[in-house]
Amino acid sequence: MSHWLQMGGYARFLWPSYGITFLVVALNIWWARRSAREARALARRRIANAASRSTT
Amino acid sequence: MNVRPDVRSTPWRAARVLAARDLHLALRRPGEWLLPLGFFLVVTTLFPLSLNPELSRLRDVAAGALWVAALLSSLLALELLFRDDSQDGSLEQLAICGQPFAWLLSAKAAVHWLLTGLPLVLVAPLAAIALGAPYASLPGVLVALALGSVSLSLIGAVGAGLTFGLRRGGALLAMIVLPLAVPVLIFGARATELAIKGEVATAPLYLLGAMAVLAATLAPLAAAAAVRVSLE
Amino acid sequence: MAWTWFHKYGSPPHFYRLAGRWLPWLSWGAALAIAAGLIGGLGLAPPDYQQGDGFRIIYVHAPAAWLSTMVYTVMAVSAAVGLIWRMGVAHAVSASCAPIGASFTAVALLTGMLWGRPMWGTYWEWDPRLTSELLLLFLYLGYLGLRNAIDDTARADRACAVLAIVGVVNVPIIHYSVIWWNSLHQAPSVMKFGRASMPASMLVPLLLMLLGFTLCFGALLLVRARGEVLRRERNARWIAEVLA
Repeated sequence: MSHWLQMGGYARFLWPSYGITFLVVALNIWWARRSAREARALARRRIANAASRSTT
Repeated sequence: MNVRPDVRSTPWRAARVLAARDLHLALRRPGEWLLPLGFFLVVTTLFPLSLNPELSRLRDVAAGALWVAALLSSLLALELLFRDDSQDGSLEQLAICGQPFAWLLSAKAAVHWLLTGLPLVLVAPLAAIALGAPYASLPGVLVALALGSVSLSLIGAVGAGLTFGLRRGGALLAMIVLPLAVPVLIFGARATELAIKGEVATAPLYLLGAMAVLAATLAPLAAAAAVRVSLE
Repeated sequence: MAWTWFHKYGSPPHFYRLAGRWLPWLSWGAALAIAAGLIGGLGLAPPDYQQGDGFRIIYVHAPAAWLSTMVYTVMAVSAAVGLIWRMGVAHAVSASCAPIGASFTAVALLTGMLWGRPMWGTYWEWDPRLTSELLLLFLYLGYLGLRNAIDDTARADRACAVLAIVGVVNVPIIHYSVIWWNSLHQAPSVMKFGRASMPASMLVPLLLMLLGFTLCFGALLLVRARGEVLRRERNARWIAEVLA
């Protein structure tokens, strides 16, 4: 197992590469969902404003 | 000064009227248009100051230095392209006057090049000599910069069309235009370098010419689209 | 017949619902393909004759590089569709592409540097691949800067659309200029990894990773695009139904 982790001596470069890649994937997932969440909140607020304006 | 090329006149006449008007207005304030030239000379001077002032060593970086200075000063000059007309409403008039907008913008870009690109090309031999270029290389330097500055003006017009009137527009203009200008830089600097070394530079010069032609055909259309977006 | 399909996708509520239905398929497909690719790439593929185990960086570098250019193309094409057919959904898709594409371009650069260090000896070389990726990153940053600088969404959409189209026309020109420029000067050993010469045990995981990352981009795109569609939609009725 540790032999596999060593990656023939390239571990110093290989694992950070994979780490950076999947970190960025995770960040993208988080960021995309946050953006969509904010958009939904914005839409709800807009609907609420429109509804309150039409009832007054 | 308002301009309204008559919609009944031909595009060519309209372009001539516009070009004459632009030239007339610009020459009222020549100082503004000479500023990018001064900037070019200042940037050129920075290279020997920051590197080795020995002419034989400067010669090796002369081509790159000339082109970087030319690129940066053309960015500065681009601010002048749409600034005045967008502020007094003439640009909108041009967009709706009924003449082909891309054609009118070509006229504006042509005058802009005459006032900023051409002077730079004419002054460049002085800068080149100051950076150690041999006299025999000057025609090559001139031609390369002439062709390149045309492309830079046109590509820059698209960027200027997108960013005039925006806050931090200058920095944004640089961020947008510089990557797009890289091919011109690569071939232009290569042609200049070959000229300075005394070698034949036809291949990169042909490519520079081809890029200038491509820019002259496509850039006005993109610039027209860009300006229309910015005018809304 | 084809055009009704086209305009149906352009309808925001339809797109929103459709994207919602596709999302789980894309997400799980991405996860499975990437997992399989990782097992194959990190475990099953034999070490390379020249680069030993170091070549395995290709399994993250190549998908990132592929994504960086593919996403820019999608961004430009959807921008063109939005501009020509005045389709808000297309602009929403285009806007969603930029942050994803920019981040994977950065990944391509970083993994390229980490791959270069053991192979060339330095973290950075002005080789055509890395230089092209760097310029592509600048193109993305210019796009994001422009979008950021314009407050009105519709105007930002149209301005960025023009920029994306101009950019995509330039990308091949820039790419070939950089290759030509690089051939003139010292050409350090490029990460030449010919697909044709790769044995299947190395190639299959690579294809799986490419597929997986593409599906991943699709999923991320749909998540963002749904939000962007909501931001651009003025007519509230279908939104109220969909959000309830």
